[in-house]
Amino acid sequence: MMAVQPTSVSAALPDAPRAAPGDERVRIAIRNLDFFYGDFRGLKSINMDFRDRKVTALIGPSGCGKSTLLRTFNRIYSLYPEQRATGQILLDGRNIIGNDVDVNELRSRVGMVFQKTTPFPMSIYDNVAFGMRLYEKLSRADTDERVESALRKAALWDEVKDKLKNPGTGLSGGQQQRLCIARTVAQQPEVILFDEPTSALDPISTGKIEELIDQLRSEFTIAIVTHNMQQAARISQYTAFMYLGELIEFGPTNQIFMNPGKKQTHDYVTGRFG
Amino acid sequence: MSATALTTGGELAAAEAGDWSRVRSGRRVADRALKLGCIGVTAIGVFALGWILLMLLFQGIAALRPSIFTEVTPGPGSAGGGLANAIVGSLVLTFFGILVATPIGVLAGTYLAEYARTSKLASIVRFINDILLSAPSILIGLFVYTLFVAPFGGYSGWAGSIALAIIAIPVIVRTTEDMLRLVPNTLREAAAALGAPPSVVIRLVTWRAARVGIVTGVILATARIAGETAPLLFTALNNNFWFKPNLTGGVSNLPVTIYQFALSPYGNWQELAWAGALLITATILGLSIAARLIIKRDANR
Repeated sequence: MMAVQPTSVSAALPDAPRAAPGDERVRIAIRNLDFFYGDFRGLKSINMDFRDRKVTALIGPSGCGKSTLLRTFNRIYSLYPEQRATGQILLDGRNIIGNDVDVNELRSRVGMVFQKTTPFPMSIYDNVAFGMRLYEKLSRADTDERVESALRKAALWDEVKDKLKNPGTGLSGGQQQRLCIARTVAQQPEVILFDEPTSALDPISTGKIEELIDQLRSEFTIAIVTHNMQQAARISQYTAFMYLGELIEFGPTNQIFMNPGKKQTHDYVTGRFG
Repeated sequence: MSATALTTGGELAAAEAGDWSRVRSGRRVADRALKLGCIGVTAIGVFALGWILLMLLFQGIAALRPSIFTEVTPGPGSAGGGLANAIVGSLVLTFFGILVATPIGVLAGTYLAEYARTSKLASIVRFINDILLSAPSILIGLFVYTLFVAPFGGYSGWAGSIALAIIAIPVIVRTTEDMLRLVPNTLREAAAALGAPPSVVIRLVTWRAARVGIVTGVILATARIAGETAPLLFTALNNNFWFKPNLTGGVSNLPVTIYQFALSPYGNWQELAWAGALLITATILGLSIAARLIIKRDANR
Protein backbone atom coordinates (compact mmCIF):
# COMPACT_ATOMS: atom_id res chain seq x y z
CA MET A 1 0.00 0.00 0.00
CA MET A 2 1.43 3.34 -0.98
CA ALA A 3 1.30 6.22 1.43
CA VAL A 4 -0.67 9.26 0.37
CA GLN A 5 1.60 11.98 -0.82
CA PRO A 6 0.48 15.26 0.64
CA THR A 7 0.33 17.05 -2.68
CA SER A 8 -0.62 20.67 -2.70
CA VAL A 9 -3.67 21.25 -4.81
CA SER A 10 -3.99 24.03 -7.29
CA ALA A 11 -7.62 23.78 -8.15
CA ALA A 12 -7.72 26.91 -10.22
CA LEU A 13 -5.46 25.97 -13.11
CA PRO A 14 -5.34 22.82 -15.16
CA ASP A 15 -2.27 20.77 -14.40
CA ALA A 16 -0.12 20.27 -17.42
CA PRO A 17 0.81 16.63 -18.03
CA ARG A 18 4.08 16.09 -16.23
CA ALA A 19 5.66 13.96 -18.87
CA ALA A 20 5.28 13.64 -22.55
CA PRO A 21 2.39 11.29 -23.40
CA GLY A 22 4.75 8.65 -24.72
CA ASP A 23 6.44 8.24 -21.33
CA GLU A 24 3.29 7.27 -19.48
CA ARG A 25 2.13 3.73 -19.15
CA VAL A 26 -1.24 2.95 -20.73
CA ARG A 27 -3.55 1.40 -18.18
CA ILE A 28 -6.72 0.99 -20.19
CA ALA A 29 -6.61 0.71 -23.97
CA ILE A 30 -9.89 0.83 -25.88
CA ARG A 31 -9.99 -0.63 -29.36
CA ASN A 32 -12.95 -0.49 -31.77
CA LEU A 33 -15.45 -0.40 -28.94
CA ASP A 34 -19.11 -0.43 -29.94
CA PHE A 35 -21.98 -0.38 -27.50
CA PHE A 36 -25.62 -1.27 -28.00
CA TYR A 37 -28.76 -0.53 -26.02
CA GLY A 38 -30.93 -3.14 -27.73
CA ASP A 39 -30.67 -2.02 -31.36
CA PHE A 40 -29.47 1.49 -30.63
CA ARG A 41 -25.74 1.98 -31.13
CA GLY A 42 -24.62 4.13 -28.22
CA LEU A 43 -20.88 4.07 -28.91
CA LYS A 44 -19.29 3.98 -32.34
CA SER A 45 -15.82 2.50 -32.80
CA ILE A 46 -14.13 4.17 -29.87
CA ASN A 47 -10.34 4.03 -29.72
CA MET A 48 -8.49 5.71 -26.87
CA ASP A 49 -5.94 5.15 -24.10
CA PHE A 50 -6.23 5.94 -20.42
CA ARG A 51 -2.88 6.57 -18.79
CA ASP A 52 -1.71 5.34 -15.44
CA ARG A 53 -2.10 7.73 -12.51
CA LYS A 54 -3.70 10.43 -14.54
CA VAL A 55 -7.16 11.91 -14.43
CA THR A 56 -8.92 11.59 -17.77
CA ALA A 57 -12.11 13.60 -18.15
CA LEU A 58 -14.92 12.65 -20.51
CA ILE A 59 -16.94 15.64 -21.64
CA GLY A 60 -19.71 16.24 -24.14
CA PRO A 61 -23.39 17.12 -24.32
CA SER A 62 -26.06 14.93 -22.72
CA GLY A 63 -26.55 11.65 -24.52
CA CYS A 64 -23.13 11.74 -26.18
CA GLY A 65 -22.13 8.39 -24.67
CA LYS A 66 -19.63 9.51 -22.04
CA SER A 67 -21.39 7.73 -19.18
CA THR A 68 -21.97 4.73 -21.43
CA LEU A 69 -18.24 4.56 -22.12
CA LEU A 70 -17.40 4.83 -18.42
CA ARG A 71 -19.85 2.04 -17.61
CA THR A 72 -18.06 -0.37 -19.91
CA PHE A 73 -14.82 -0.24 -17.88
CA ASN A 74 -16.30 -2.26 -15.02
CA ARG A 75 -18.99 -3.90 -17.17
CA ILE A 76 -21.66 -2.57 -14.85
CA TYR A 77 -23.88 -2.42 -17.93
CA SER A 78 -24.06 -6.24 -17.87
CA LEU A 79 -26.63 -5.95 -15.04
CA TYR A 80 -29.04 -5.11 -17.86
CA PRO A 81 -29.54 -7.95 -20.33
CA GLU A 82 -30.41 -5.71 -23.28
CA GLN A 83 -27.08 -3.88 -23.15
CA ARG A 84 -23.93 -5.24 -24.77
CA ALA A 85 -20.49 -4.15 -25.91
CA THR A 86 -18.27 -5.41 -28.71
CA GLY A 87 -14.62 -4.68 -29.37
CA GLN A 88 -11.78 -4.61 -26.90
CA ILE A 89 -11.11 -2.94 -23.58
CA LEU A 90 -7.63 -3.91 -22.50
CA LEU A 91 -6.95 -3.46 -18.80
CA ASP A 92 -3.21 -3.94 -18.41
CA GLY A 93 -3.28 -5.81 -21.71
CA ARG A 94 -6.16 -8.15 -20.88
CA ASN A 95 -9.44 -7.86 -22.75
CA ILE A 96 -12.14 -7.41 -20.11
CA ILE A 97 -15.00 -7.68 -22.61
CA GLY A 98 -14.23 -11.39 -23.02
CA ASN A 99 -16.42 -14.05 -21.45
CA ASP A 100 -13.54 -15.53 -19.49
CA VAL A 101 -13.36 -12.46 -17.25
CA ASP A 102 -15.06 -12.71 -13.85
CA VAL A 103 -16.99 -9.44 -13.64
CA ASN A 104 -16.91 -9.42 -9.85
CA GLU A 105 -13.14 -9.70 -9.78
CA LEU A 106 -12.94 -7.04 -12.48
CA ARG A 107 -15.09 -4.73 -10.36
CA SER A 108 -12.88 -5.25 -7.35
CA ARG A 109 -10.06 -3.86 -9.49
CA VAL A 110 -12.06 -1.11 -11.18
CA GLY A 111 -14.07 0.88 -8.63
CA MET A 112 -16.88 3.29 -9.40
CA VAL A 113 -18.44 6.32 -7.74
CA PHE A 114 -21.87 7.40 -8.95
CA GLN A 115 -23.71 10.66 -9.45
CA LYS A 116 -26.33 9.76 -6.89
CA THR A 117 -24.81 9.11 -3.49
CA THR A 118 -25.39 5.51 -2.54
CA PRO A 119 -24.67 4.79 1.12
CA PHE A 120 -25.76 1.26 1.96
CA PRO A 121 -28.32 0.81 4.73
CA MET A 122 -25.68 -0.03 7.34
CA SER A 123 -23.18 1.73 9.60
CA ILE A 124 -20.47 4.03 8.28
CA TYR A 125 -17.88 1.43 9.26
CA ASP A 126 -19.68 -1.41 7.49
CA ASN A 127 -20.16 0.75 4.42
CA VAL A 128 -16.42 1.25 4.09
CA ALA A 129 -15.62 -2.36 4.93
CA PHE A 130 -18.25 -3.73 2.51
CA GLY A 131 -16.08 -4.09 -0.57
CA MET A 132 -12.91 -5.37 1.05
CA ARG A 133 -14.78 -7.97 3.08
CA LEU A 134 -16.04 -9.53 -0.14
CA TYR A 135 -12.69 -10.76 -1.37
CA GLU A 136 -10.31 -10.66 1.55
CA LYS A 137 -10.24 -12.43 4.88
CA LEU A 138 -9.08 -9.71 7.21
CA SER A 139 -8.58 -9.69 10.94
CA ARG A 140 -10.52 -7.22 13.02
CA ALA A 141 -7.44 -5.05 13.50
CA ASP A 142 -6.55 -5.06 9.81
CA THR A 143 -10.13 -4.15 8.90
CA ASP A 144 -10.07 -1.27 11.40
CA GLU A 145 -6.83 -0.05 9.93
CA ARG A 146 -8.02 -0.23 6.34
CA VAL A 147 -11.30 1.51 7.18
CA GLU A 148 -9.45 4.32 8.91
CA SER A 149 -6.94 4.71 6.12
CA ALA A 150 -9.70 4.76 3.48
CA LEU A 151 -11.69 7.35 5.42
CA ARG A 152 -8.56 9.46 5.79
CA LYS A 153 -7.87 9.28 2.07
CA ALA A 154 -11.46 10.33 1.43
CA ALA A 155 -10.97 13.30 3.81
CA LEU A 156 -13.85 12.08 5.95
CA TRP A 157 -12.08 10.56 8.97
CA ASP A 158 -12.13 13.63 11.20
CA GLU A 159 -15.84 14.12 10.64
CA VAL A 160 -16.94 10.55 11.35
CA LYS A 161 -14.30 8.98 13.59
CA ASP A 162 -16.54 9.28 16.66
CA LYS A 163 -19.66 7.90 14.97
CA LEU A 164 -18.49 4.96 12.90
CA LYS A 165 -21.43 2.91 14.20
CA ASN A 166 -24.01 5.44 13.00
CA PRO A 167 -25.90 4.74 9.79
CA GLY A 168 -24.23 6.00 6.62
CA THR A 169 -27.54 7.39 5.43
CA GLY A 170 -27.44 9.98 8.23
CA LEU A 171 -24.53 11.90 6.68
CA SER A 172 -24.91 15.02 4.54
CA GLY A 173 -24.84 14.73 0.75
CA GLY A 174 -21.20 15.75 0.44
CA GLN A 175 -20.18 13.42 3.28
CA GLN A 176 -22.15 10.57 1.71
CA GLN A 177 -20.24 11.03 -1.53
CA ARG A 178 -16.92 10.97 0.31
CA LEU A 179 -18.15 7.85 2.11
CA CYS A 180 -18.76 6.25 -1.28
CA ILE A 181 -15.25 7.26 -2.35
CA ALA A 182 -13.81 5.80 0.87
CA ARG A 183 -15.71 2.58 0.23
CA THR A 184 -14.21 2.35 -3.24
CA VAL A 185 -10.70 3.28 -2.09
CA ALA A 186 -10.83 0.74 0.77
CA GLN A 187 -11.02 -2.05 -1.77
CA GLN A 188 -7.65 -0.96 -3.16
CA PRO A 189 -8.64 -0.92 -6.81
CA GLU A 190 -6.32 0.10 -9.62
CA VAL A 191 -8.77 2.27 -11.49
CA ILE A 192 -11.53 4.51 -10.13
CA LEU A 193 -14.39 5.67 -12.31
CA PHE A 194 -16.33 8.79 -11.35
CA ASP A 195 -19.72 9.30 -13.02
CA GLU A 196 -20.61 12.97 -12.46
CA PRO A 197 -19.65 12.69 -8.79
CA THR A 198 -20.39 16.30 -7.90
CA SER A 199 -23.44 17.20 -9.97
CA ALA A 200 -25.75 16.70 -6.97
CA LEU A 201 -23.50 18.55 -4.50
CA ASP A 202 -23.09 22.12 -3.30
CA PRO A 203 -20.00 24.14 -4.32
CA ILE A 204 -18.10 23.53 -1.05
CA SER A 205 -18.61 19.76 -1.19
CA THR A 206 -17.71 19.88 -4.87
CA GLY A 207 -14.45 21.64 -4.04
CA LYS A 208 -13.60 18.96 -1.47
CA ILE A 209 -14.32 16.13 -3.89
CA GLU A 210 -12.21 17.78 -6.59
CA GLU A 211 -9.30 18.17 -4.19
CA LEU A 212 -9.72 14.56 -3.25
CA ILE A 213 -9.65 13.34 -6.84
CA ASP A 214 -6.48 15.31 -7.40
CA GLN A 215 -4.87 13.53 -4.42
CA LEU A 216 -6.12 10.10 -5.41
CA ARG A 217 -4.35 10.50 -8.74
CA SER A 218 -1.06 9.64 -7.03
CA GLU A 219 -2.32 6.09 -6.49
CA PHE A 220 -5.05 5.36 -8.98
CA THR A 221 -5.88 5.71 -12.64
CA ILE A 222 -8.93 7.91 -12.74
CA ALA A 223 -11.63 8.45 -15.33
CA ILE A 224 -14.31 11.04 -14.68
CA VAL A 225 -17.47 11.97 -16.54
CA THR A 226 -18.50 15.54 -15.96
CA HIS A 227 -20.97 18.06 -17.35
CA ASN A 228 -18.94 20.84 -15.85
CA MET A 229 -16.20 21.95 -18.24
CA GLN A 230 -14.45 24.08 -15.64
CA GLN A 231 -14.25 20.99 -13.49
CA ALA A 232 -12.72 18.98 -16.32
CA ALA A 233 -10.21 21.77 -16.86
CA ARG A 234 -9.39 21.97 -13.14
CA ILE A 235 -8.83 18.35 -12.30
CA SER A 236 -7.90 16.39 -15.41
CA GLN A 237 -4.67 15.92 -17.29
CA TYR A 238 -6.37 14.43 -20.34
CA THR A 239 -9.74 15.24 -21.80
CA ALA A 240 -11.87 13.42 -24.31
CA PHE A 241 -14.67 15.23 -26.10
CA MET A 242 -17.50 13.01 -27.27
CA TYR A 243 -20.51 13.71 -29.42
CA LEU A 244 -23.32 11.40 -30.56
CA GLY A 245 -21.52 8.25 -29.51
CA GLU A 246 -18.25 9.15 -31.18
CA LEU A 247 -14.95 10.27 -29.78
CA ILE A 248 -14.37 13.60 -31.50
CA GLU A 249 -11.10 14.64 -29.93
CA PHE A 250 -8.80 13.37 -27.22
CA GLY A 251 -5.62 14.91 -25.87
CA PRO A 252 -3.95 16.72 -22.98
CA THR A 253 -6.51 18.86 -21.17
CA ASN A 254 -4.84 22.22 -21.83
CA GLN A 255 -4.66 21.42 -25.52
CA ILE A 256 -8.36 20.49 -25.69
CA PHE A 257 -9.36 23.66 -23.88
CA MET A 258 -6.81 26.16 -25.24
CA ASN A 259 -6.12 24.90 -28.70
CA PRO A 260 -8.59 22.25 -29.85
CA GLY A 261 -7.97 20.65 -33.18
CA LYS A 262 -11.58 20.30 -34.27
CA LYS A 263 -14.24 22.93 -34.72
CA GLN A 264 -16.85 20.89 -32.81
CA THR A 265 -14.56 20.69 -29.80
CA HIS A 266 -13.85 24.38 -29.99
CA ASP A 267 -17.55 25.22 -30.18
CA TYR A 268 -18.33 23.01 -27.21
CA VAL A 269 -15.56 24.12 -24.87
CA THR A 270 -16.26 27.77 -25.65
CA GLY A 271 -19.92 27.20 -24.83
CA ARG A 272 -21.29 27.71 -28.32
CA PHE A 273 -23.33 24.53 -28.11
CA GLY A 274 -24.01 21.77 -25.67
CA MET B 1 -50.73 55.72 -19.04
CA SER B 2 -51.59 55.02 -15.43
CA ALA B 3 -54.96 56.71 -15.90
CA THR B 4 -55.79 54.40 -18.79
CA ALA B 5 -54.78 51.42 -16.74
CA LEU B 6 -56.99 52.56 -13.91
CA THR B 7 -59.95 53.05 -16.18
CA THR B 8 -59.43 49.63 -17.72
CA GLY B 9 -59.18 48.12 -14.28
CA GLY B 10 -62.37 49.83 -13.21
CA GLU B 11 -64.22 48.62 -16.26
CA LEU B 12 -63.01 45.09 -15.71
CA ALA B 13 -64.15 45.13 -12.10
CA ALA B 14 -67.54 46.44 -13.14
CA ALA B 15 -67.89 43.78 -15.82
CA GLU B 16 -67.00 41.08 -13.33
CA ALA B 17 -69.41 42.42 -10.75
CA GLY B 18 -72.21 42.50 -13.29
CA ASP B 19 -71.41 39.02 -14.53
CA TRP B 20 -72.25 37.04 -11.40
CA SER B 21 -75.19 35.59 -13.22
CA ARG B 22 -72.79 33.94 -15.68
CA VAL B 23 -72.53 30.97 -13.34
CA ARG B 24 -75.88 29.39 -13.95
CA SER B 25 -77.78 28.54 -10.79
CA GLY B 26 -78.32 25.04 -12.12
CA ARG B 27 -74.60 24.46 -12.09
CA ARG B 28 -74.30 25.63 -8.54
CA VAL B 29 -77.11 23.26 -7.49
CA ALA B 30 -75.41 20.36 -9.27
CA ASP B 31 -72.14 21.24 -7.56
CA ARG B 32 -73.75 21.25 -4.16
CA ALA B 33 -75.74 18.07 -4.87
CA LEU B 34 -72.58 16.13 -5.74
CA LYS B 35 -70.86 17.35 -2.60
CA LEU B 36 -73.82 16.39 -0.41
CA GLY B 37 -74.10 13.06 -2.19
CA CYS B 38 -70.45 12.25 -1.46
CA ILE B 39 -70.78 13.28 2.18
CA GLY B 40 -74.02 11.32 2.55
CA VAL B 41 -72.62 8.08 1.15
CA THR B 42 -69.49 8.41 3.27
CA ALA B 43 -71.69 8.94 6.32
CA ILE B 44 -73.66 5.78 5.55
CA GLY B 45 -70.41 3.79 5.31
CA VAL B 46 -68.99 5.24 8.50
CA PHE B 47 -72.31 4.72 10.28
CA ALA B 48 -72.54 1.06 9.29
CA LEU B 49 -68.93 0.35 10.26
CA GLY B 50 -69.23 2.38 13.43
CA TRP B 51 -72.38 0.52 14.39
CA ILE B 52 -70.66 -2.84 13.96
CA LEU B 53 -67.70 -1.67 16.00
CA LEU B 54 -69.84 -0.16 18.73
CA MET B 55 -72.01 -3.27 19.02
CA LEU B 56 -68.87 -5.36 19.11
CA LEU B 57 -67.37 -3.13 21.77
CA PHE B 58 -70.48 -3.12 24.02
CA GLN B 59 -71.36 -6.79 23.66
CA GLY B 60 -67.76 -7.94 23.65
CA ILE B 61 -66.71 -6.01 26.74
CA ALA B 62 -69.86 -7.16 28.53
CA ALA B 63 -68.90 -10.76 27.77
CA LEU B 64 -65.22 -10.42 28.69
CA ARG B 65 -64.26 -12.08 31.96
CA PRO B 66 -61.11 -13.77 33.22
CA SER B 67 -62.54 -17.25 32.68
CA ILE B 68 -62.43 -16.63 28.93
CA PHE B 69 -58.65 -16.98 29.07
CA THR B 70 -58.61 -19.95 31.44
CA GLU B 71 -61.51 -22.24 30.60
CA VAL B 72 -62.11 -24.27 27.47
CA THR B 73 -65.13 -23.79 25.23
CA PRO B 74 -68.23 -25.30 26.82
CA GLY B 75 -70.19 -28.15 25.31
CA PRO B 76 -73.75 -27.67 24.07
CA GLY B 77 -76.06 -26.80 26.91
CA SER B 78 -73.38 -26.63 29.62
CA ALA B 79 -73.01 -23.34 31.43
CA GLY B 80 -70.02 -20.97 31.66
CA GLY B 81 -66.82 -21.87 29.87
CA GLY B 82 -64.18 -19.77 28.12
CA LEU B 83 -62.17 -19.55 24.92
CA ALA B 84 -58.73 -20.61 26.14
CA ASN B 85 -58.37 -23.56 23.75
CA ALA B 86 -59.63 -21.52 20.80
CA ILE B 87 -57.30 -18.60 21.55
CA VAL B 88 -54.22 -20.81 21.84
CA GLY B 89 -55.36 -22.86 18.84
CA SER B 90 -55.67 -19.72 16.72
CA LEU B 91 -52.24 -18.53 17.84
CA VAL B 92 -50.70 -21.88 16.91
CA LEU B 93 -52.42 -22.07 13.51
CA THR B 94 -51.52 -18.49 12.65
CA PHE B 95 -47.94 -18.95 13.83
CA PHE B 96 -47.32 -22.03 11.71
CA GLY B 97 -49.19 -20.49 8.78
CA ILE B 98 -47.00 -17.41 8.78
CA LEU B 99 -43.91 -19.53 9.46
CA VAL B 100 -44.55 -21.42 6.23
CA ALA B 101 -45.69 -18.39 4.24
CA THR B 102 -42.88 -15.95 5.10
CA PRO B 103 -39.90 -17.69 3.45
CA ILE B 104 -41.94 -18.71 0.41
CA GLY B 105 -43.48 -15.27 0.02
CA VAL B 106 -40.27 -13.33 0.56
CA LEU B 107 -38.22 -15.52 -1.76
CA ALA B 108 -40.86 -15.48 -4.49
CA GLY B 109 -41.16 -11.70 -4.18
CA THR B 110 -37.38 -11.44 -4.38
CA TYR B 111 -37.36 -13.59 -7.52
CA LEU B 112 -39.92 -11.29 -9.14
CA ALA B 113 -38.20 -8.06 -8.16
CA GLU B 114 -34.53 -8.97 -8.43
CA TYR B 115 -34.01 -11.81 -10.85
CA ALA B 116 -36.88 -11.86 -13.30
CA ARG B 117 -38.04 -8.28 -13.44
CA THR B 118 -38.91 -8.22 -17.12
CA SER B 119 -39.17 -11.90 -17.98
CA LYS B 120 -42.29 -13.50 -19.39
CA LEU B 121 -42.40 -16.06 -16.59
CA ALA B 122 -42.38 -13.26 -14.00
CA SER B 123 -45.38 -11.54 -15.54
CA ILE B 124 -47.27 -14.84 -15.54
CA VAL B 125 -46.36 -15.50 -11.89
CA ARG B 126 -47.37 -11.94 -11.01
CA PHE B 127 -50.73 -12.39 -12.74
CA ILE B 128 -51.45 -15.70 -11.00
CA ASN B 129 -50.37 -14.21 -7.68
CA ASP B 130 -52.87 -11.39 -8.15
CA ILE B 131 -55.61 -13.93 -8.81
CA LEU B 132 -54.62 -15.88 -5.70
CA LEU B 133 -54.66 -12.62 -3.75
CA SER B 134 -58.37 -12.22 -4.40
CA ALA B 135 -59.36 -15.90 -4.51
CA PRO B 136 -62.34 -16.82 -2.30
CA SER B 137 -60.81 -18.29 0.84
CA ILE B 138 -63.39 -21.10 0.95
CA LEU B 139 -61.87 -22.41 -2.28
CA ILE B 140 -58.47 -22.52 -0.65
CA GLY B 141 -60.01 -24.42 2.25
CA LEU B 142 -61.50 -26.97 -0.15
CA PHE B 143 -58.21 -27.24 -2.05
CA VAL B 144 -56.30 -28.07 1.12
CA TYR B 145 -59.08 -30.44 2.19
CA THR B 146 -58.65 -32.42 -1.03
CA LEU B 147 -54.88 -32.41 -0.73
CA PHE B 148 -54.17 -32.84 2.98
CA VAL B 149 -57.36 -33.78 4.82
CA ALA B 150 -59.10 -36.38 2.67
CA PRO B 151 -55.96 -38.45 1.86
CA PHE B 152 -54.80 -38.48 5.50
CA GLY B 153 -58.22 -39.38 6.80
CA GLY B 154 -58.73 -36.56 9.25
CA TYR B 155 -58.77 -32.88 10.06
CA SER B 156 -55.61 -31.42 11.51
CA GLY B 157 -53.99 -28.20 12.58
CA TRP B 158 -51.31 -28.76 9.94
CA ALA B 159 -53.88 -28.65 7.16
CA GLY B 160 -55.30 -25.48 8.75
CA SER B 161 -51.89 -23.83 8.88
CA ILE B 162 -51.21 -24.75 5.25
CA ALA B 163 -54.55 -23.23 4.20
CA LEU B 164 -53.72 -20.04 6.10
CA ALA B 165 -50.23 -20.01 4.57
CA ILE B 166 -51.72 -20.20 1.07
CA ILE B 167 -53.76 -17.11 1.87
CA ALA B 168 -50.79 -15.26 3.35
CA ILE B 169 -48.28 -16.09 0.60
CA PRO B 170 -49.69 -13.86 -2.17
CA VAL B 171 -49.90 -10.95 0.28
CA ILE B 172 -46.25 -11.37 1.23
CA VAL B 173 -45.13 -11.91 -2.37
CA ARG B 174 -46.83 -8.73 -3.43
CA THR B 175 -45.54 -6.50 -0.64
CA THR B 176 -42.03 -7.94 -0.88
CA GLU B 177 -41.87 -7.27 -4.60
CA ASP B 178 -43.31 -3.78 -4.23
CA MET B 179 -40.90 -2.88 -1.44
CA LEU B 180 -37.86 -4.23 -3.31
CA ARG B 181 -38.88 -2.26 -6.38
CA LEU B 182 -38.78 0.89 -4.29
CA VAL B 183 -35.06 0.31 -3.63
CA PRO B 184 -33.25 2.56 -6.14
CA ASN B 185 -31.31 0.76 -8.84
CA THR B 186 -28.31 2.96 -8.13
CA LEU B 187 -27.94 1.13 -4.81
CA ARG B 188 -27.75 -2.23 -6.59
CA GLU B 189 -25.30 -0.81 -9.10
CA ALA B 190 -23.14 0.60 -6.33
CA ALA B 191 -22.96 -2.77 -4.57
CA ALA B 192 -22.32 -4.62 -7.84
CA ALA B 193 -19.62 -2.06 -8.69
CA LEU B 194 -17.73 -3.17 -5.58
CA GLY B 195 -17.67 -6.67 -6.97
CA ALA B 196 -20.58 -8.08 -5.00
CA PRO B 197 -22.35 -11.00 -6.73
CA PRO B 198 -26.18 -10.80 -6.93
CA SER B 199 -26.69 -13.00 -3.86
CA VAL B 200 -24.63 -10.62 -1.72
CA VAL B 201 -26.28 -7.54 -3.19
CA ILE B 202 -29.70 -8.97 -2.33
CA ARG B 203 -28.83 -10.21 1.15
CA LEU B 204 -26.75 -7.30 2.39
CA VAL B 205 -28.14 -4.35 0.47
CA THR B 206 -31.59 -4.61 -1.09
CA TRP B 207 -33.21 -6.77 1.58
CA ARG B 208 -31.81 -4.48 4.21
CA ALA B 209 -32.99 -1.38 2.43
CA ALA B 210 -36.48 -2.87 2.09
CA ARG B 211 -36.62 -4.75 5.37
CA VAL B 212 -39.10 -2.45 7.10
CA GLY B 213 -41.54 -2.79 4.23
CA ILE B 214 -41.11 -6.55 4.08
CA VAL B 215 -41.65 -6.98 7.83
CA THR B 216 -44.71 -4.76 7.59
CA GLY B 217 -46.04 -6.96 4.80
CA VAL B 218 -45.60 -10.04 6.98
CA ILE B 219 -47.43 -8.34 9.86
CA LEU B 220 -50.31 -7.35 7.60
CA ALA B 221 -50.47 -10.91 6.25
CA THR B 222 -50.64 -12.13 9.86
CA ALA B 223 -53.53 -9.76 10.49
CA ARG B 224 -55.21 -11.04 7.35
CA ILE B 225 -55.07 -14.73 8.30
CA ALA B 226 -55.78 -14.21 12.00
CA GLY B 227 -59.46 -13.69 11.23
CA GLU B 228 -59.93 -16.16 8.37
CA THR B 229 -62.77 -18.62 8.95
CA ALA B 230 -63.57 -20.34 5.69
CA PRO B 231 -60.19 -22.03 5.06
CA LEU B 232 -60.31 -23.52 8.57
CA LEU B 233 -63.81 -24.98 8.20
CA PHE B 234 -62.52 -27.76 5.97
CA THR B 235 -59.06 -28.18 7.49
CA ALA B 236 -58.53 -27.53 11.19
CA LEU B 237 -62.25 -27.79 11.85
CA ASN B 238 -63.03 -26.91 15.46
CA ASN B 239 -64.00 -28.60 18.72
CA ASN B 240 -64.48 -27.91 22.40
CA PHE B 241 -61.29 -29.51 23.70
CA TRP B 242 -57.65 -28.78 23.98
CA PHE B 243 -55.96 -29.89 20.77
CA LYS B 244 -53.48 -32.75 20.72
CA PRO B 245 -49.81 -31.76 20.80
CA ASN B 246 -49.32 -33.23 17.31
CA LEU B 247 -52.20 -31.07 16.03
CA THR B 248 -54.11 -33.99 14.49
CA GLY B 249 -57.84 -34.50 14.76
CA GLY B 250 -58.98 -30.90 14.60
CA VAL B 251 -57.77 -27.82 16.39
CA SER B 252 -60.12 -25.39 18.08
CA ASN B 253 -59.74 -21.81 16.87
CA LEU B 254 -61.42 -18.46 17.34
CA PRO B 255 -62.94 -17.73 13.91
CA VAL B 256 -64.75 -21.06 13.55
CA THR B 257 -65.77 -20.95 17.23
CA ILE B 258 -67.32 -17.53 16.64
CA TYR B 259 -69.06 -18.82 13.55
CA GLN B 260 -70.55 -21.83 15.38
CA PHE B 261 -71.32 -20.12 18.68
CA ALA B 262 -72.91 -17.04 17.12
CA LEU B 263 -75.39 -19.19 15.21
CA SER B 264 -76.21 -21.35 18.24
CA PRO B 265 -79.35 -21.02 20.40
CA TYR B 266 -77.33 -20.99 23.69
CA GLY B 267 -76.92 -17.66 25.45
CA ASN B 268 -73.44 -18.39 26.88
CA TRP B 269 -72.19 -19.49 23.44
CA GLN B 270 -73.43 -16.24 21.90
CA GLU B 271 -71.70 -14.24 24.62
CA LEU B 272 -68.45 -16.11 24.03
CA ALA B 273 -68.79 -15.41 20.30
CA TRP B 274 -68.97 -11.66 21.05
CA ALA B 275 -65.94 -11.85 23.30
CA GLY B 276 -64.00 -13.82 20.68
CA ALA B 277 -64.95 -11.37 17.94
CA LEU B 278 -63.73 -8.49 20.08
CA LEU B 279 -60.44 -10.28 20.76
CA ILE B 280 -59.79 -10.94 17.06
CA THR B 281 -60.72 -7.40 16.06
CA ALA B 282 -58.46 -5.94 18.74
CA THR B 283 -55.60 -8.21 17.64
CA ILE B 284 -55.95 -7.20 13.98
CA LEU B 285 -56.20 -3.55 14.96
CA GLY B 286 -53.09 -3.94 17.10
CA LEU B 287 -51.16 -5.57 14.25
CA SER B 288 -52.21 -2.85 11.80
CA ILE B 289 -51.18 -0.12 14.21
CA ALA B 290 -47.85 -1.87 14.79
CA ALA B 291 -47.27 -2.01 11.02
CA ARG B 292 -48.07 1.70 10.67
CA LEU B 293 -45.79 2.63 13.55
CA ILE B 294 -42.92 0.66 12.06
CA ILE B 295 -43.33 2.39 8.70
CA LYS B 296 -43.63 5.79 10.34
CA ARG B 297 -40.51 5.28 12.44
CA ASP B 298 -38.61 4.29 9.31
CA ALA B 299 -39.85 7.32 7.38
CA ASN B 300 -38.65 9.60 10.18
CA ARG B 301 -35.19 8.11 10.23
